[in-house]
Amino acid sequence: MMTSRERWIALLSGERPDRIPTDYWATDEVTARLLQEFACPDKEALYTRLNIDGVFDVKPVRICDHHPDDPQADIWGLRRKAIDYGAGSYDEFDNHPLELVESVDQIHAYRWPAPEDHDFDRFTRDIAAAPRHRVVRVGDYEPFLLYCALRGMELAMMDLKVEPEIVDAALEHIFQYHYLLNARLFEIARGRVDITYVAEDLGGQTSLLFGVPEIRKYILPRQKKMADLARSFGVHVFYHTDGAAREIIPDLLSVTGIEILNPIQWRCPGMEREGLVRDFGGRVIFHGAVDNQFTLPFGTVQDVRNEVLDNIRIFGDSRWICAPCHNLQPVTPTANIVALYETIHDNGIL
Amino acid sequence: MEDLKKLYDAILTGNFKIARETTQQALAAGIDPQALVQQQMIPAMDEVGRRYEANEYFVPELLISARAMKASLELIRPLLAAKGAEPAGRVVIGTVKGDLHDIGKNLVAAMLEGAGFEVIDLGVDVSPEKFIAALNERHATLVAMSALLTTTMNSMKTTVEAIKAAGVRQKVKIMIGGAPVTQKYADEIGADGYSNNANAAVALARKLVAA
Repeated sequence: MMTSRERWIALLSGERPDRIPTDYWATDEVTARLLQEFACPDKEALYTRLNIDGVFDVKPVRICDHHPDDPQADIWGLRRKAIDYGAGSYDEFDNHPLELVESVDQIHAYRWPAPEDHDFDRFTRDIAAAPRHRVVRVGDYEPFLLYCALRGMELAMMDLKVEPEIVDAALEHIFQYHYLLNARLFEIARGRVDITYVAEDLGGQTSLLFGVPEIRKYILPRQKKMADLARSFGVHVFYHTDGAAREIIPDLLSVTGIEILNPIQWRCPGMEREGLVRDFGGRVIFHGAVDNQFTLPFGTVQDVRNEVLDNIRIFGDSRWICAPCHNLQPVTPTANIVALYETIHDNGIL
Repeated sequence: MEDLKKLYDAILTGNFKIARETTQQALAAGIDPQALVQQQMIPAMDEVGRRYEANEYFVPELLISARAMKASLELIRPLLAAKGAEPAGRVVIGTVKGDLHDIGKNLVAAMLEGAGFEVIDLGVDVSPEKFIAALNERHATLVAMSALLTTTMNSMKTTVEAIKAAGVRQKVKIMIGGAPVTQKYADEIGADGYSNNANAAVALARKLVAA
């Protein structure tokens, strides 16, 4: 029997694993609830209990965890506040430090975080301690999402049309930070990192959020550099984009060079599983595809089972990692989560 | 009329400075503000909506066009009010309780405004009580609710129930939208309509107020 890591690596190497690999994405509330309900001391125990081939994320720790001008803010200058929605809470940004910026000079004058400001000795120890049977993930890069937080989403979106120099200058600062940091981390952890996370939410519920020309101009060139960096260290590129992103997938494959595409929101127009398998099945690993807007939160146990079985049939001989489409939410019944992992365990032998 | 076409073009291309200047010049020249709205602004925003549905425009284009439309409308609105002009309808709009996501709601609000509706925007995290208070105070005939999260969409149901309990359900039509929302859900909670984008929301609002 393969280990969880061996399953993922087999897929990434174009080989056939012993069974369809699985993954786990959930809010903190859901994880806490499952740990309690299954009397598991930690996530590793939960993964074992539900047969999840979960990823082990190793993050470097900042020496100083706040912005130099604002002790209440994170390193980027962003403050957060918890918003209670009854069954839990989520963090929203409470400020947009770049919202009044009107020039490129102001962008350059902003105090951007330094990639050197991390405890790399600790990271070295953490990497050494990462479990050998898990896929190890290092590095997150989702620049436009961060720009939206810094600028405010509406301004950030409008900037793509009317303030090209401002948006480009800010994205370059964000890129430089992540590129230099990831280069250092990949070097320290050479041979121990399996995947890195490169992302941008390019799709909305029914179409792309912004046009292909803007994606090609602002997003893809730096993504490609980041992906090339990862590849130079033998690290695979895990790519996340929400929503209806069908139109840009060819670019993600040919320009960025993604290897895993998450989360496959197949209910969105253009993201139908059969079409994705037909058009891209030989070139990318699909990750996710168990619907998190209807089936998992509001469907029955049987609905969840049927969807997992549908996925096994549809993805067929193409490569698929079974996981929820994005974080499991607190409205999702535990029975549905169990049904997801039991069904793939019982039927996912290859 | 050639000069007025500039307003149409400014809204369509999202140039708020030209939209404002053109409006100022037109009003100074004695052009009927109602004609500006009916012949330039609404057709321009209709075209923006059409391009969005055709995947020619995306969120950034909608936002800059809405900003240009608002720059013009700010100058026109007081004049319309002074003339006692009636809007296409009065809409109370908000993102429901527990949810702070507002870009979808803002786009719908802007498109409705661009279609000649009076929009009373209650913002985000709006409780059922706030919706009802605004309905009563502003004599609105339409409620538009938005939610992004599966965890917050239940607030739509709570709000519909509260509107019923307050005895004002017969006076208003209710429309809903947002990523996890569907026609099925609208039917389940007793809303009058659902749309999956800002342009379709305008068509739905027009249909509901005409019903």
